[in-house]
Amino acid sequence: MNIKLTIGQFYPGDSVIHALDARVKLAGTFFFIVSLFYADNFYGYLAAFILLSAVIVLSGVPPRLLLRGIRSILFIIVFAAVFNIFFNPGETVLLEWQFIRISYEGAITAARMVIRLALLITASSVMTLTTSPIQLTDALEYLLKPLKKIKVPTHEIAMMMTIALRFIPTLLEETDKIIKAQTARGADFVTGSIMKRAKNLIPLLVPLFVSAFRRADELAVAMDARCYRGDTGRTKMKVMKLRGRDAAAIIILAAYSVLLWLTKMA
Amino acid sequence: MFKAEQIYFEYTQTAEEDSAPANYVALNGVDAEIQKGEFVAVVGRNGSGKSTFAKHLNALLSPTSGTLWVNGAATSKEENIWQVRKSTGMVFQNPDNQIIASVVEEDVAFGPENLGVEPGEIRRRVDGSLAAVRMADFAKAAPHILSGGQKQRVAIAGVLAMRPDCIVFDEATAMLDPLGRSEVLETVAALNGEGITIILITHFMEEVVIANRVFVMNEGVIEMDGSPREIFGQSKKLRELGLDVPHMTALAHELADLGVPVSRGVLTVGEMLFELTAALKL
Repeated sequence: MNIKLTIGQFYPGDSVIHALDARVKLAGTFFFIVSLFYADNFYGYLAAFILLSAVIVLSGVPPRLLLRGIRSILFIIVFAAVFNIFFNPGETVLLEWQFIRISYEGAITAARMVIRLALLITASSVMTLTTSPIQLTDALEYLLKPLKKIKVPTHEIAMMMTIALRFIPTLLEETDKIIKAQTARGADFVTGSIMKRAKNLIPLLVPLFVSAFRRADELAVAMDARCYRGDTGRTKMKVMKLRGRDAAAIIILAAYSVLLWLTKMA
Repeated sequence: MFKAEQIYFEYTQTAEEDSAPANYVALNGVDAEIQKGEFVAVVGRNGSGKSTFAKHLNALLSPTSGTLWVNGAATSKEENIWQVRKSTGMVFQNPDNQIIASVVEEDVAFGPENLGVEPGEIRRRVDGSLAAVRMADFAKAAPHILSGGQKQRVAIAGVLAMRPDCIVFDEATAMLDPLGRSEVLETVAALNGEGITIILITHFMEEVVIANRVFVMNEGVIEMDGSPREIFGQSKKLRELGLDVPHMTALAHELADLGVPVSRGVLTVGEMLFELTAALKL
């Protein structure tokens, strides 16, 4: 079995987009996605498309990486499109043959759906490709801060994400080791029916879980020894600071939303 | 720095599977005093209580009875715990299970961040600590690509960044290959040279040689306490306690038994060479 050690899909670089504050990127992406559902005409989508293309060009991320993102949800896009074309009971019939009936409204909805999903996936891919997982976690912790007032453990969530990211490669390596050890003892993970293969995974999963719990235990002791006591009295080495480029990004987003509003009014 | 007075510790439940049965007495009246700047090696066979003793030194465990003072503060008092943990850092056995972040420098920053140190100062401490363990080139690396010895050095840097007076190494070299082990030991010796108190828990007798004081633990008490030379001079007693002496000391004993005029206190290859050339010239 071949396990690739790639975490997330961060594409390191030193473009303007990479250098933007992660909070701005995260909130901006969220805002952009919402805007896609607000826009409902050709000009609106054109504005979104131009903005996104500009960001992609600035980021220097190879387009094939973005296409990979779209490919992974191709099925959902096609499904949504087909469903809308054939099952939308629109007024203006474009084509009617036996039980197949395509309406103008259906075609429009389908097109809209495809455009929205493609832009949505591409936008979030650009964000995750240009932001390191750690920055993303920090940004998430910061943006979720207001939820702390209603007792959401935002710091703990962020810490869990940090530790999970840290241990993904370690546990993958361990999985690989256990697979080899069990294969050497005659375990078979690759042949047989799905049911049989699932059952054969037990001798892999049990040691993996036992070891993960032991690691968790030791890690907790080590964190204790390094004075970890949750969020109380904690500081951060890297202080997130908004710079000129972040302000520029916010202004561009604001201009984009005004433009979007205008296309809808017109 | 440390003063232990009759500390007892009893594991009430099987905390670690397969090691301790219920109500197992791990420490059975430990008395010890360690001065600032000392380099103490603690040896003993499995179950002798050496790891339990180590965990008392930074208040991860608190004695069932008796008192341990760290810089004058009793570890059993709740309000002293953070002060004690700040002054006594700890490096554990498994290099993987003590690194928290997925970037080396973020992990080193973890301790000072917990202490609420101001960001600019954390930056300085992180850079300084990584340089001190010669890992500055790996500041942005992911921990999982490092070797065992490198990971342990990152863990040491993480402790150093908290500016401790003392570092306890709880079998920190047990899972390393010989190269990694010597990397870590070199770092340990260098830190001691800068005045940091070192407590090195180990079962490699060769590591004990670089310490200036040795505790031999057996059945929850400190059975022997002295310089490495004094301790290894008594190889018979060590064997009774289930321990070995360093290879060179064993060789010296055998040669001395055969009538070759070498000192029984030889610890290293260099010393043996010196003794032998002296013996041959006679």
